[in-house]
Amino acid sequence: MSSSPLRSAMVPVTRRIRVYFAPVDRTTETPTVFDPGKAGLFALETPPAPWIDVGYIDNFQRFCQTTSEPLRAGTQGAPAGQFRGPIDVRIEFDFREWGKLQMALAAGSDQMNVLASDPNANAQPSGGTALPAVAVLPGSTATEIVLGAGAVSGFSVGDIIAVDNDYQQQTGHVGTGIAAAYVSDPATVNQDVNYIRRVTFNVGRVAQLTATSILLAQPLPGGAPAAGAGVQKVIAFVDREGGSFFQEWSGLFVAEEDAGGRVCFYYPRLSPTTTIQAAVNTSRGAMPSLTQILFRGTSKTGTQVTHPPLQPAGRAFEREQFVVLTPPVVALGLRAAFLALPHTDENDGQTVVCYRSYFPSPMAAVY
Amino acid sequence: MQFTKDSFYMTLRERLASVNSQRTVTLNGVTRPAVIVAENELVVPVTPLPNAFYIEWGGAQVVDGQIASRILMAMDCVISHHTFGTVESGVDRGRTLAELDMELMAICQPPRTDKRDYTQSPSVDLGTDIFWTLPALGAVTGSMGPLNESLPEKTQSAQLERRAVLQVFFFSEVNSL
Repeated sequence: MSSSPLRSAMVPVTRRIRVYFAPVDRTTETPTVFDPGKAGLFALETPPAPWIDVGYIDNFQRFCQTTSEPLRAGTQGAPAGQFRGPIDVRIEFDFREWGKLQMALAAGSDQMNVLASDPNANAQPSGGTALPAVAVLPGSTATEIVLGAGAVSGFSVGDIIAVDNDYQQQTGHVGTGIAAAYVSDPATVNQDVNYIRRVTFNVGRVAQLTATSILLAQPLPGGAPAAGAGVQKVIAFVDREGGSFFQEWSGLFVAEEDAGGRVCFYYPRLSPTTTIQAAVNTSRGAMPSLTQILFRGTSKTGTQVTHPPLQPAGRAFEREQFVVLTPPVVALGLRAAFLALPHTDENDGQTVVCYRSYFPSPMAAVY
Repeated sequence: MQFTKDSFYMTLRERLASVNSQRTVTLNGVTRPAVIVAENELVVPVTPLPNAFYIEWGGAQVVDGQIASRILMAMDCVISHHTFGTVESGVDRGRTLAELDMELMAICQPPRTDKRDYTQSPSVDLGTDIFWTLPALGAVTGSMGPLNESLPEKTQSAQLERRAVLQVFFFSEVNSL
């Protein structure tokens, strides 16, 4: 043993991964930038705008199947250099908390808000003819929706609401702040004036009512509603197997710094996938996830914990994970997988799909 | 190791003052948040105070599977508390114990803090964090009850006690060679 201060603790230690997502501008394919110099050591409870806290995840695994190809020369074909082959980077994890955003990210296609409907309307699996919207008045913000006296009485504390514009027969991406769906032809959505509110990410829970407005428990993810927007009650969230729309988000994964050093993984553009990465490319097989390492066997409280076994490569994509808490009680996790899409780093023009940043402990050695 | 003990204690003490500023004890004429490290107090035959959190340190081990210059160690810790309730009849002793339990869970989160050298004033940041598992709350036990106690955990007794265990992790102050 030595008390030399030269090599102080340099081991990042964590027990949980926290994830944040932010919208990609689908028109320009511009991601939300995570600048580690400006916002890297943010308080995990209060991420910098517009990052949305999606909670803790489980079984986080990063896969890189980008190959390095040797460039051979000479009579013996010795490697003279190498180049990178096609970029193929994916991630997989389980959401252990459910919500609008988590379901949308896990399912990957457009995600529906089931609007409160007329009892006499035809039954539809994603919600029938909706009750009319209530108009949003000027002065509304992401946390306070001004409706005016009288109109507020149609809502109660605890209601979930969708707040967005009327559909006005436009084509292209729709949804305030966050692209929620793509409309190629108004006829495909029945020219439904409520269509944007059926898919919007601008949803919230009513926490309080004033004489003229609704106060929300969480801010609307897409920001303040525009003038002329409407509000409708949401009964449930529905995602669908199928569909042609692909979500696209910027993702930020933070390994909580238990020992002082923080590690962040920033993916400028993530597109959901159900194609499983062929992870077993080595003799060791798939690497265990963080949770499987930390909680193998028994939990901190001595309770037997059963996590899903590692899945072999080439497996079918499982939509949900059933995590045994204590038999017969299980928790349902939402399985999510993403393909990393390219982004051009403006500092040097390089095409990249992921940034890994490390913030050492205050007094840790730097190498 | 002592830095870890001191940092853990100071963190819990400061958090308790924030979570419940009324949860105090008076020891040696000084009123302070009700977090007490038994080994730091005078050796006098005095029974533990009710409605206070007593920290006792146990064994320490090197955590397996490390390849690094600084070894990660885990130290056992027991935090105990007991209550007689807040009224003479003691009928709220279960509720008071639950309050203490939740305060303990609250002050143990987030489960990490800076490791600091409190032998200096002001204290000095030693560069890494210490972190710990969340407390595992043991069974409630009762004592100081009537002789013919019949309930298995004796929770009809005047004093209700809880013992919570956790592990505190820290990087040793010495390098491994």
